[in-house]
Amino acid sequence: MVTIVFYFFSTLTLLAALFVVVNRNTVNSAMCMIVAFVGVAALFVLLQAYFLAMLQIVVYAGAVMVLFLFIIMLLDTQARERVRFGRADIVAGAVAFICLAFGAVWLARHYPVGVTPPPAPAMPPSDNPLAYATSAKAFGYGLFTRYLLPFQVTGFLLLIAMVGVILLSKRLPPPDSGVKPDSP
Amino acid sequence: MTPGLQAYLTVAGILFAIGFAGVLLRRNTLVIYMCLELMLSATTLALVAFSRFNGTMDGALFVFFIITVAAAEVSVGLAIIVALYRRRHTIQVDHLNYLKF
Amino acid sequence: MDLTTVLATILLLPLASAGFITLCLRRRGYAAAAVSVVVGFVLMALALVAVLNWNGQPLHRSWEWIRFGNFAYTMGFYFDHQAALMLLVVTFVAGWIQLFSVGYMDDDPAKGRFFGGLSIFMFSILGITLADNLIMLFVFWELVGFSSYMLIAHYYTTDFANMASKKAFIVNRIGDFGFILGIVWCYHYYGTVDLEALRNLTHLNAPLLQTSAAVGIGLLLMCGFIGKSAQFPLQVWLTDAMAGPTPVSALIHAATMVAAGIYFLARVYFLLPPFTLHWIMWSGALMTAFAGLCALGQTDIKKSLAYSTLSHLGYMATAVGLGYPELALFHMAMHACFKATLFLGAGSVIHSCHHEQDIYKMGGLFRRMPITGLTFGAASLAIAAIPFFSGSYSKDTIITAAFLKGMNEGPQYYLVYVLVLFAALCTALYMGRLFCVAFLGQPRSEHAAHAHESSAFMTIPLAVLGFLSVVAGWVVYHWDWAQGRMNWVMPSAATEVFVPTYHAVETLAAQAGVGHALDLVAIALAVAGLVGAGIFYGRARAGDPLQARAPGVFQVLERHGWFDDLYDWYVAKVQQCACEMAAIGDLLIVKFVFVQGTAAITGLTGALLKRVHVGSLHAYVYWFLGGVLLFWAFALGWF
Repeated sequence: MVTIVFYFFSTLTLLAALFVVVNRNTVNSAMCMIVAFVGVAALFVLLQAYFLAMLQIVVYAGAVMVLFLFIIMLLDTQARERVRFGRADIVAGAVAFICLAFGAVWLARHYPVGVTPPPAPAMPPSDNPLAYATSAKAFGYGLFTRYLLPFQVTGFLLLIAMVGVILLSKRLPPPDSGVKPDSP
Repeated sequence: MTPGLQAYLTVAGILFAIGFAGVLLRRNTLVIYMCLELMLSATTLALVAFSRFNGTMDGALFVFFIITVAAAEVSVGLAIIVALYRRRHTIQVDHLNYLKF
Repeated sequence: MDLTTVLATILLLPLASAGFITLCLRRRGYAAAAVSVVVGFVLMALALVAVLNWNGQPLHRSWEWIRFGNFAYTMGFYFDHQAALMLLVVTFVAGWIQLFSVGYMDDDPAKGRFFGGLSIFMFSILGITLADNLIMLFVFWELVGFSSYMLIAHYYTTDFANMASKKAFIVNRIGDFGFILGIVWCYHYYGTVDLEALRNLTHLNAPLLQTSAAVGIGLLLMCGFIGKSAQFPLQVWLTDAMAGPTPVSALIHAATMVAAGIYFLARVYFLLPPFTLHWIMWSGALMTAFAGLCALGQTDIKKSLAYSTLSHLGYMATAVGLGYPELALFHMAMHACFKATLFLGAGSVIHSCHHEQDIYKMGGLFRRMPITGLTFGAASLAIAAIPFFSGSYSKDTIITAAFLKGMNEGPQYYLVYVLVLFAALCTALYMGRLFCVAFLGQPRSEHAAHAHESSAFMTIPLAVLGFLSVVAGWVVYHWDWAQGRMNWVMPSAATEVFVPTYHAVETLAAQAGVGHALDLVAIALAVAGLVGAGIFYGRARAGDPLQARAPGVFQVLERHGWFDDLYDWYVAKVQQCACEMAAIGDLLIVKFVFVQGTAAITGLTGALLKRVHVGSLHAYVYWFLGGVLLFWAFALGWF
């Protein structure tokens, strides 16, 4: 049962990713991207990382891709992107793809087949609080003890990103006009 | 035959390769960006797989940070693309080639 | 106060005076002159006090100046009889010449600079006098060279003075190059540069002096002497140095600086092996004869006196080479007196003839400038070694010593005697010529006709020095009578240097039975020279009679054997070629290969690297892929 679900969702993810790359229409690409993210979230569920699966849906598929769609619509590109790939480009892309894919698969062979550990508990055992557990509490524990500093720094990072975005999206007046930047 | 670590890593690897090919081939800046996100996603998948099969939380916690940082990065990147579009009126990467010798 | 303090005051007082003049009195010429003259007389008094209160034991005090590992450079005083003599001579002559300069330079706008230079010169020469080790001596040697350079170029607006000062300094430097090599080798071979230590070392260990290293050291140290005292082959700078003001010529280039070379030889006499002494003797003898001849070919009074100085330096060198450094010091002291008188007299004459230096534009000055004429005449008799005058005691003793060497060591040394005797004849000839042409006869120009006696500033020093050049030798000769009575003006501590040697040589000559004969020969030659000069030159009207009668000979003498022209040719043709080839090498190798080569390589690398930035995002991603594969292969251990 698990195997079938795994194969289904992994195929879904890979096909969606392929469509993202190949599709001519940008909006279609974005839609396929959402499907790919949902597939990845399903794979997370199979790995018993439930919290991360929800995070993936909410943040990635929900927020990031929506933002992408906003921008795509905003920029109003003439979707006539003449996707005329030159011969060299296709060859190079194919070569890169083959290199990376086969490299990854070959490396993956390093690991044993089908050895599945027992299902993860909801709470970590008390003598090893950072053992793999499924509940959000386990996440919280790790975030607030061992990874407290990166957690705080990420907060700052988000603040900086916000400030940066505000600054970047100001409309500057054309030069030689006496209009100040933040006048309406 | 439950999928082992190998299976998950294979999926992650192929996903990464697809994303990379997309970055190489597409000329639309936004699509290139989306392919970058695909690559990030592939790494998060691999990390969670490792974390699960090793029995520690570290990988999963790292994914938490990756998602956060990726979100911030996307917002800033898109703001840059918008600003760039306002100047150059194009988002074809071929035409955005001013930073050269 | 004790001797060390007095000596330190003597050394540092002129330095303080020079500093004060340089900082405050550059524009106030008269104030600078006053300071310098007062300091000069104070130095005279202090020197007399120092020597009179000295107990006769050599004083050696030194202070460590800087230390390199186990070598310490010390500065200090080594005060023995030689130093006492030189100290008295230097301070005495310098003091009176400073007074003379006040009168001579009264119409010069740059008095401050001149007197500052005189003060720094005093500091330097006193440093050489009192130095206790070779390195300190060398430091002050160079300082004296610098002072000479600065004072020769006093009239720096003329090309002649500038070129002469450069020539003097550069030629001195050539000699000093050998000197410093000698000092370094001396330290390497003997282990010390301290004079007293070296003396003890060589007295205790005579075989040290017979090695080739000692000969080499002696020859190299001699190079310094050759440069400073203008011996062959570096004598070309002294005549050009006459471009400086006459007091400078008197003080530096007649009495003290050029004599510093002789003083140095006397100081390190124990380091000189016989081979070096032979060289010094022969070159000195040849120089005295040749320079004496050249003096007959000069029409400039100062140049003639300069060749006379060269000739007498040759005498002193011959004395050292014969083995009697004390006689050389004796002659140096006498020479300082009468040569200073002669130069000051020439200065007085030049000043009142409005800077006319050609003797054939003077004449009949004896009537118009009696004091100058009298002192010049007295000094001329002294230099020509007429008996009873000071020069005869020292010069004739050297001639006697030369004859004795010929008698005792082989007939080839008779040649030295002949050369020295011939030089004595020339001395009488050219001094007679100068006196007759400049002072006797009728005036040959307007300036000479309107000349008048110089001011008291100039005549008083002339009188003092002239008097001394008459009586100084006699006092030494009749030492038994004079001792005790004359001690306050001529301390025995100083004259003790040469009096015993003088008497020893006289005794040797008497024993060999030739004493009186030699004296008679010398006196006869001197008188013949003076009389001959009077006859030959006495009736000269407009030009030089020798030039009129034997122009070829005169030209050889005037051009100084074309020595200067030889050096000019060498520098212009040979050395300049070598320099230009070196310059081309420098251009090619340093500039082209190293400087421009590195710049080109850097530029090429930059040009190559900037090709990476093509502006295309995809190209950058390919580079990225390449890097990833590289790292991957590395991580897999493929290389």
